[in-house]
Amino acid sequence: MRFAIPAMGTRFEVVLFAGAGGTGHAQLRAAGEAVIDEIAYWHARLNRFAPDSLVSHIVRRRGEPIRLDRETYDLFADADTVWRASEGAFDITVTGRAHLIKLDGSARTITVDGDDISIDLGGIAKGHALDCARARLEDAGVTAGLIHGGTSSVVAVGRPSASSRWRVALGPDAGDDVVTLADAALSLSDPAGQREVSGSDHIVDPRARFGRPGAARPTERVAVIGPSARLADAWSTALAVLGQAPDTLPIGYDARFLPGLVGAHPDAAAAI
Amino acid sequence: MLLPPSDRRTFLTRTVGALGVTMLRPDISDLLPRLQGPPIRLAVVGAGRHGRAIIAELQKIEQVQIAAVCDTSPSRLDTAVGRATGAEGFADHRELLARRDDVEAVIVATPTHTHRPIVEDVLAAGRHVYCEAPIAATIDDCQALAAAVTSATTVCQAGLLGRSNPTYRRAQPLVRTELRDLVSLAGHANRKTSWRFPASGGSSEGEMNWRLDPEVSTGLAGEVGVQQFDVAHWFRREYPTRVSGRGAIRLHQDGRTIADSIDLDFTWADGITLRYDATLASSYGGQYELIRGANATIRLAWTHGWMFKEADAPTQGWEVYATRQEIFGEEGIVLIANATQLAAQGDLESGVGLPHPSLYYALVDFVRSATEGAPVACPLDEGARASIVAILANQAVVSGQPVDIPAFTA
Repeated sequence: MRFAIPAMGTRFEVVLFAGAGGTGHAQLRAAGEAVIDEIAYWHARLNRFAPDSLVSHIVRRRGEPIRLDRETYDLFADADTVWRASEGAFDITVTGRAHLIKLDGSARTITVDGDDISIDLGGIAKGHALDCARARLEDAGVTAGLIHGGTSSVVAVGRPSASSRWRVALGPDAGDDVVTLADAALSLSDPAGQREVSGSDHIVDPRARFGRPGAARPTERVAVIGPSARLADAWSTALAVLGQAPDTLPIGYDARFLPGLVGAHPDAAAAI
Repeated sequence: MLLPPSDRRTFLTRTVGALGVTMLRPDISDLLPRLQGPPIRLAVVGAGRHGRAIIAELQKIEQVQIAAVCDTSPSRLDTAVGRATGAEGFADHRELLARRDDVEAVIVATPTHTHRPIVEDVLAAGRHVYCEAPIAATIDDCQALAAAVTSATTVCQAGLLGRSNPTYRRAQPLVRTELRDLVSLAGHANRKTSWRFPASGGSSEGEMNWRLDPEVSTGLAGEVGVQQFDVAHWFRREYPTRVSGRGAIRLHQDGRTIADSIDLDFTWADGITLRYDATLASSYGGQYELIRGANATIRLAWTHGWMFKEADAPTQGWEVYATRQEIFGEEGIVLIANATQLAAQGDLESGVGLPHPSLYYALVDFVRSATEGAPVACPLDEGARASIVAILANQAVVSGQPVDIPAFTA
């Protein structure tokens, strides 16, 4: 059974198997719709283009601490962690101004300083929505399913059968690398991907604004696999900018740089 | 710019030179309200999907501290406590009221058929109450709550969101001043969903899917339509006298008996009609209302509103502030009241939609009434009357027979 929703500038899709976990058709549909509702919820909260989103509210109230629920606070905390660990290669302000976002864990608030700062959660928002969607699926007792956001962010829930794993191709062609997933998330960052569609870069090096050494136009195509789609998305963006894996990838995460030509790396699936 | 579902497929925007459509844009103080009253401690009873949205909007109101949340499901309660910083969790609203006498106001967001005893307990405890609409599932319960309000000394607000929505507030007086002769009303609510929710959090499938239980559900007319019917009541300042309806299961053949698609015809004493349809089988068109007049037609879509003027309608002075647009194939203008202030705050750049959901404005109104003594946006007894109309509309759908609506005082 398939469900889909346009959100976060792309198309999210959910694939569930009737009978998975003993779930009937109507119940499975309800579970799939709960997942779609969850993605719509986060789209509404995190959309920087919508005036009624939480992100717009935070930016509009710059200089004031804004209270966050636990899930949203954890999202910003993860963004902050990856920003620090990647030395600014991942930056939700895009313009190298993430140091102007202050988090207070005890009060669970966020404060944005700076007059012209904006927040673009980009891929980490997609990953966050996928993680929350997976939680809704598990709440509903569904033990097997695949959810993706724009095909570049994927969450695999369980396995399609006891002896198999979800097979995800890293490109549209028959010869493209394939990774296999079970209870894991995959994020693929390809600086050339959006450029081919829109003619502009969707991954930029935030450090370039300040002329830092090493800052350059990102060209690396990278896949990250790990337990959380949110962290996998943040790290794949950071690594596409950095061009190399740092020593600080969290435990449980694996990354592989892929050649620009899709399908040219025969070891990608096995290595990842 | 993010448009509501009703307008995604049809919205065109470009600068044009003709006059015809006016965007209904409220004042900045209504769009971005700042409360002046003291802090208030609130409790939210019901931590399901709607309770989650309520908690999220309450967190944006500086004066509000969510002191407690309540739900019968332990896992939903645990999740809600995690979402509301500093809140204490309760499984029973009576225990909450007994133990937390510092809680000044309670928001009731439980299933419709459970509202009455909770609201009565809150009122008996002398707290302010905000109750989601429909406020009850039976006419008896609606009448009992309306009667209870008459002796209450606290704020009692029904969650009918149009009353607080700045775009709807902007439109309401225009119905009398700009439309001239009212021709007709229409309302549409289109979604594609089974309206079925998975069992979770210790709740059974039956508990989760009370909307599909004919014993307690008010159907699409009640659970969805009441918001739009109330807009018609509020704009017209009177209630319809008769409703006829039909319902069918067009898509969700899963054993349910509650219609997934309905059509209704309301008639007022003066012959004006409201044609209404709602479906769970198709999302095309989204949710919107049309108020058609001899001089102009107003289209309201919850985050946006436009007024399409007839070519022979007189131009009003306030239209000189308008920006010109093309929308729905009509060339015309966009009105943005207080444009200078909006531009100074960068709001013009963020699109033409409201900066907050309707729910936020309703909760702000509630807090303002409780802390500053402001008039109640939609008193609970008015919510009771709107709910009775919706319940009778559901009866018309179920029976297939016209139903008379008793005379109310608007």
